[in-house]
Amino acid sequence: MIVIRCPYCNELRHEEELEYGGEADVVRPDPGSADDIDWTDYLYMRTNTKGVHFEQWCCRAGCGQWFKVARHTVSHEITEVIPYDKKFAHQDRH
Amino acid sequence: MAAPSNPYRVGEGGLIDRTRPLAFHFNGQRMQGYAGDTVASALIANGVSLIARSFKYHRPRGFLGSGLEDPNAMVEIRDGYGFDAAVRAGQVRLAAGMQVRSVSGWPSLNFDIGALAGYAAKFIKAGFYYKTFMWPNWHLYEPLIRRTTGFGRVDANARPHPRRQHHATCDVLIIGGGAAGIATASALGGSGLRVILADDQPQLGGSLLWSDIEIGGTSAAAWAGDRQAALDGAAAVQVLTDTVVTGAYEGNMFTLLQSFHTDGSPEAPGGIASECLWKLRAGSVVLATGSVERPLVFAGNDRPGVMLASAVRKYLAVHGVAPARELAVFTNNDAGYAAAFAALKAGVRVPAVIDVRDAPPKEFMQRLAAASVRCITGAEVIGTSGGRQLDGITVVPLGGGARQHIRCDGLALSGGATPLVHLTAHRGSKPVYKADVAAFVSGDLPEDWHAVGDACSPCSLSEALTQAHDAARAICRREGVAAPEFSPPDVAQTPGLPIQAHWRAGTGNPSDMFVDFQNDVTVQDIELAVLEGYVSVEHLKRYTTLGMGTDQGRTSNINGLAILAALTGRDMSEVGTTTFRPPYTAVRLGAIAGDRQGPLFRPERLIPAHALHVRAGAVFEDFGWQRPDWYRSNGADREAAVRAEMAAVRSTLGIFDGSPLGKIEISGPDAAAFLDRFYVSNLRTLKPGRIRYSVMTGEDGVIFDDGVVTCVDETLYLAGPTSAHADEVANRLERWRQTEWPELRVGIASVTSNWASFAVAGPRARTTLAALQPDFDVSNAAFPHMSYRAGRIDGIPVRVSRISFTGELQYEINVPARYGQGLMRRLMDISEPACGRLIGMEAWLRLRLEKGYLHVGSDTNGRTTPLDIGMARVVAGKHADFIGKRSLALAYAQSADREQLVGLRAESGQLRVGGRVLADGAMPPCRTEGYVTSACHSPTLGISIGLALIERGHSRLGERVRIFDSGTIVDAEICPPVFYDPENERLQA
Repeated sequence: MIVIRCPYCNELRHEEELEYGGEADVVRPDPGSADDIDWTDYLYMRTNTKGVHFEQWCCRAGCGQWFKVARHTVSHEITEVIPYDKKFAHQDRH
Repeated sequence: MAAPSNPYRVGEGGLIDRTRPLAFHFNGQRMQGYAGDTVASALIANGVSLIARSFKYHRPRGFLGSGLEDPNAMVEIRDGYGFDAAVRAGQVRLAAGMQVRSVSGWPSLNFDIGALAGYAAKFIKAGFYYKTFMWPNWHLYEPLIRRTTGFGRVDANARPHPRRQHHATCDVLIIGGGAAGIATASALGGSGLRVILADDQPQLGGSLLWSDIEIGGTSAAAWAGDRQAALDGAAAVQVLTDTVVTGAYEGNMFTLLQSFHTDGSPEAPGGIASECLWKLRAGSVVLATGSVERPLVFAGNDRPGVMLASAVRKYLAVHGVAPARELAVFTNNDAGYAAAFAALKAGVRVPAVIDVRDAPPKEFMQRLAAASVRCITGAEVIGTSGGRQLDGITVVPLGGGARQHIRCDGLALSGGATPLVHLTAHRGSKPVYKADVAAFVSGDLPEDWHAVGDACSPCSLSEALTQAHDAARAICRREGVAAPEFSPPDVAQTPGLPIQAHWRAGTGNPSDMFVDFQNDVTVQDIELAVLEGYVSVEHLKRYTTLGMGTDQGRTSNINGLAILAALTGRDMSEVGTTTFRPPYTAVRLGAIAGDRQGPLFRPERLIPAHALHVRAGAVFEDFGWQRPDWYRSNGADREAAVRAEMAAVRSTLGIFDGSPLGKIEISGPDAAAFLDRFYVSNLRTLKPGRIRYSVMTGEDGVIFDDGVVTCVDETLYLAGPTSAHADEVANRLERWRQTEWPELRVGIASVTSNWASFAVAGPRARTTLAALQPDFDVSNAAFPHMSYRAGRIDGIPVRVSRISFTGELQYEINVPARYGQGLMRRLMDISEPACGRLIGMEAWLRLRLEKGYLHVGSDTNGRTTPLDIGMARVVAGKHADFIGKRSLALAYAQSADREQLVGLRAESGQLRVGGRVLADGAMPPCRTEGYVTSACHSPTLGISIGLALIERGHSRLGERVRIFDSGTIVDAEICPPVFYDPENERLQA
């Protein structure tokens, strides 16, 4: 069972109380200038990591806020939980 | 009445309560056991040794084990609380009044006609069914074959046992209440850590209950009893007996199944009173599950009377039952001797102990000699004799030699201990083979786990106790609490000698050597599988069904792997094990469902005026909400009522409860800009008090929902999603607000259930609204179509939208939910002289079909875009971006070949939803180019009409098509999707 502490309400939430929202930091291209390839990549192409995956979760049964999580897809270990407007540690280094 | 005798009950001893006899029935025959018996022990005490017929060959089978490892003893139980179609006799505690029946054998257990299959056994090899019953197809044979196999029959009328669920956390979970588990819990008792100790038996102790070793100067069983009493008194320790840990999941989450028994009395029958499924999260975990004994593999090893040595010891020590009068022992390790000594102590004759080892411990040999028991070393059992009951065994020296026959009616087998490492495997840890103990032990443990005792690796009692104390210390260290003062108790145990692996008999017919008793897998089946190339352990399992029974191969897996390893010339470690998955033992689906079944499966949502609808004769349907489908007060049957309801709307007045319709308030200075990004229509030009219809798509351009948007004022908008998507649309708006456009100043509130909503539709709708005397002008000029007014009726706030779903003049009147019943009552009073009727969902949907309004989800599918439903002009007219807009410019969205929404007028017959449009008017089988999405008979037009998604539909108006549905063909004409009042005169009136 995946358990995550919501960075907004600070409560420990079980999988059943959370909603998974797919990969984090998928950037919506400018629809005016994106070509078909850029746009369909945005629609359909996702990383399918065996290892640490950066993703979005929602405190659905709690405060309703979306936030970002780094999770290991094999062990389900949660290594980072950040508010939605913050960057993951590896992004700050660049 | 004289109590039925217990011919196999030992004179004294055991943990049963001999003052409390319990009467029960087995296959209709009255029997008696005692409080503390299991069904298995009570049956053995009564002289029952034949308990089942085997799965494939219908061979007679007895009790091999004593608990959940037993592959044979499946029975059905009817107790005072319910019925179970297939449970293991050793896992069920006896209760007064229990009805126990065997579940295999036809016409009876003693005379099973299917046993003839045994004579054909050489033809029913692994894969027999796959290979033989393929032509013309399996389903022809399946019903016949099914009747002769399987366990138990479902009784659909039986009450299931009551079930509960419980969520909990603890600092330390100790799994298994044997020596190692008790010692760990005792050591942690004073630490202050919250400890849960779970054990599947009614009392703690595990194998200590039948051990002859002394701990701290008392018997092992007495030590376990003292420790349990101490643990029960420790505030921070919770002891769960009769509780199986059924699954281990990431984050140290566990599922536990706890059962509650009552023994009952002749007046009040007992049984499994209830079950509780736990979901438990633990900090640290101590795996103290112990081990299970393996049988030895030789010809005829499945005959009733052959039993695991550990089961013999348990029946003797716990239940005071001797499973045989003359018990031989066949072993490859020290544990077999303990069974011999226990039998002798209970007065059972032991004709011989056969040990494959040349030199067993001297002390054991001396004790046997003193009791005049022959000890045959360096030898093996290669065969058994007897019919439905063992009467003798054949013994030869290892490697061959003179055979000798030994008379006995029981044979105790000890093939070594298999650690119960299933729970570590649930977490992805692969068991590793350890040759010195001839066992697979757990590999890398999950984080914060400790394995102690036999679960770690088969070991002596003193080693187990030391490991337990080490684990307790490590946990205290990790949790940062002071470790209490403790030290392992002294154990008086003679050091033993190692096991000698012996995986199968050297001689004998491989087709009589049973590996998996439950699924009738023999050594010959494994040989055949290897011959046919199934050398992976996972393939072997699936091809032969080895270990796939309800016992999950507890006793058979390792023997099977070892035989496979030998046949393929590989090491055990190279062969590996199959993957153990949850649950550890069978869990009833009802226990997993808990209360979430029947009416509680999904709580019903009721509209505010539900009670009034009931009184009005509504027939309800579940549309996510309980909604009136039609009203008995409007007609004798559904069709008559629906027609009357439709006629009322077209000619006078209809009242429809639309309370489940979605209502979302979007407020703030950027509300218009925000909403405009979701809908394909331009909402920035929407003026206060006006309403606009639109659809919403996903980023892929596919229609997600439709509805009207109302501008109350520049800082407050109402979105009206469909009732099915009300929550999803609100969540979608909120998600984009948070994640994509946090700079927009908007607030989103879902107020669907805050407002009751009634639609009044029909020529008399305006007079009806006027009769409510709202404090605003309702004239056509002051309150035109697609506009909105807020005001008061009788001082109560109302929101009224003039919109139409039916094609008639229509108002939607919203009042706070608590006034819903009152408004409905008023409307019914007003409508009576106006010849109005209550309208149900079915009439409502047919009215909209006549008008040609689409129903998202029925008339659209997972590919339909706004362009496909005729909104191309709207899309083209909107210059600002909206979610999904870019996708509508992709080639696939622009393709001319797409399925487009059109109307259909039947020229003959009735259109039905799902009918396929045949390409080129050909006869099926042929390609189809679309399907009917909605259909009904239109009373207004007098013909059958429908909506359909048809390839290139928009350019095919007027074309005739043939529609195939369930063998019939209907001719129809493609038309614009409006059948009623195309000029919109009625709704503008």
